[in-house]
Amino acid sequence: MGLNHETAPVEVREHFAVSENQLGSKARELTELSTIAEGVVISTCNRMEVYVAAEDRQVGLEVLQQHLSQGHDQKEMEHLYSKCGDEAKRHLFGLVCGLDSMVLGETEIFGQVKHAYKQALEAGATKGFLNRLFQKSFAVGKRIRTHTRIQVGATSVGNVAVDLAEKIFGKLHGSHVMVIGAGETSRLVAQSMISRGASKLTVTNRSQERATALADELDGDVVPFDSWEEVLVQVDVVVSSTGSPEPVLHAAQIEAVRRKRKFRPLFLIDIAVPRDIDSKAGEIEEVYLYDIDTLQQLASVARESRAKQVQLCEQMIAEEIDQTS
Amino acid sequence: MRQTVVDRWMLIIAVILAAIAAVQGARYVHRGSRSRWTVLWMLFCFIAQLTVLSIRGEMRASCPLGDTGEVLIFSAWSLTMFYMAVGSVYRLSLLGVFTAPLVCFLLSLALMPGLLEVDPERKTVVDGWRESHAAFSVLAYGALGLAAVAGVMFIVLNRQLKEAHMDTGLFANLPPARELSKVVKRLLLLGFGLLTLGLVCGLVMEKTGAANKHLYVALGQWAAYAALVVLEWRRGMPPRKLAMAAVLLFALSLMIFPLIN
Repeated sequence: MGLNHETAPVEVREHFAVSENQLGSKARELTELSTIAEGVVISTCNRMEVYVAAEDRQVGLEVLQQHLSQGHDQKEMEHLYSKCGDEAKRHLFGLVCGLDSMVLGETEIFGQVKHAYKQALEAGATKGFLNRLFQKSFAVGKRIRTHTRIQVGATSVGNVAVDLAEKIFGKLHGSHVMVIGAGETSRLVAQSMISRGASKLTVTNRSQERATALADELDGDVVPFDSWEEVLVQVDVVVSSTGSPEPVLHAAQIEAVRRKRKFRPLFLIDIAVPRDIDSKAGEIEEVYLYDIDTLQQLASVARESRAKQVQLCEQMIAEEIDQTS
Repeated sequence: MRQTVVDRWMLIIAVILAAIAAVQGARYVHRGSRSRWTVLWMLFCFIAQLTVLSIRGEMRASCPLGDTGEVLIFSAWSLTMFYMAVGSVYRLSLLGVFTAPLVCFLLSLALMPGLLEVDPERKTVVDGWRESHAAFSVLAYGALGLAAVAGVMFIVLNRQLKEAHMDTGLFANLPPARELSKVVKRLLLLGFGLLTLGLVCGLVMEKTGAANKHLYVALGQWAAYAALVVLEWRRGMPPRKLAMAAVLLFALSLMIFPLIN
């Protein structure tokens, strides 16, 4: 029984959310209810679900419903769904494969389910049935990851940019990223680069205040907007998203520093509309330029490719359920 | 079985192993996955080539570089050896998929009638400088050949990155552009060093009548690689230009190969 991003808005989900370190104790509480022998509680930003093994299906459902309704009104309870038997198994197997996630095929959920199960196991809330079921779900998750392309390709602009950066530079450790224009999308892309190992960040913006705020948040440096060209010699990646009606980075500016850069690759990400980077810059041999349309198109191709894999994943899950039944 | 028969059979086995590595690797790449078998096939191919060369060396009682067939086998062996060494360090398993066709081509050429002497002359006097000259030069061919292979890989990846064609299995399996560029540079430097050693030994060795033409061609080849290496070291070069230069110079070296030999 549970709710997720499709059945409940965030203000309801947050009422049902269970903190990470309480997952085990909450699962243990379930086993103290009548007819419920085992329990696991999963809680992420997009869902809260409880899995129980009950001696009597109908009674178990009623008891569980009553337990979950404590502290919640009837309106909130209407967002909950419940599944039993093979349907519940199918749901769990799909969940660990990322089929039920907001970003189809994402892998984080696998670790979150594993963590929730471990907490329940350590709290003594699981025994034979749920142990077998969750172990099986992890095996199914691994099998589907290996034999399908459900996780292949980056599905967001930020992840596409990071994947491209890794294809150009290999590991991003030691890479220097410059952000021109301190907008939200720039922040997300820069954050993704840093999370994958980029070691230096320089921020420039017409408003020095916003540049300083972003640099402070991401532990970077600030350069004044009229002198960022001097940094162009050192950087590996430029993320640009200003509101300027004219391009801010021209091919001539890159040509001027090519020798000083020793023709090192330069990755330019232009997420501004109108575009910030002159398209001629992309014709320079060691420059790789991508605008927002290209990045979005690549993300959309990956999303479509993942969507095409859903049927195959569901078929494999059905085979696994047949084997367990 | 006579040694002349054994060496040919081992050579055929080496050709088959290289062909399997090439075909199977290409099929894996097409499916978008990485072939874990390529390194293994190439290792078996390397052992088969080594066996052929040791049999030929025993027959000649000297370094097996006495005819065009042996030089081709030695070049393929050298290429495979550098692949085994460089590939594992940089984890460029796809390098094998690109190297295997070239190795297969060189070994198949060696099988052509007349290129591999059936009954090679056994040497009674061995000129150490001549042997070293030949060995260093052919090893240089191996390193420079692999630089060209890595160069082709870079050119393919660069094109896919520039045109944003990223949904291919090839793209997914190619190593990062900067890594490939580094490999090209290092192999060019290594190949140039070996070529220089070969040239020095060639200048010292005892000359025969046809040596002058051979020397001029070899000097021209050395000068071209020297210009490339110095240009890259002093001034730097766009990675694509460097990769193209590595490919073109090696293709040119293969074309003048009959003149040198």
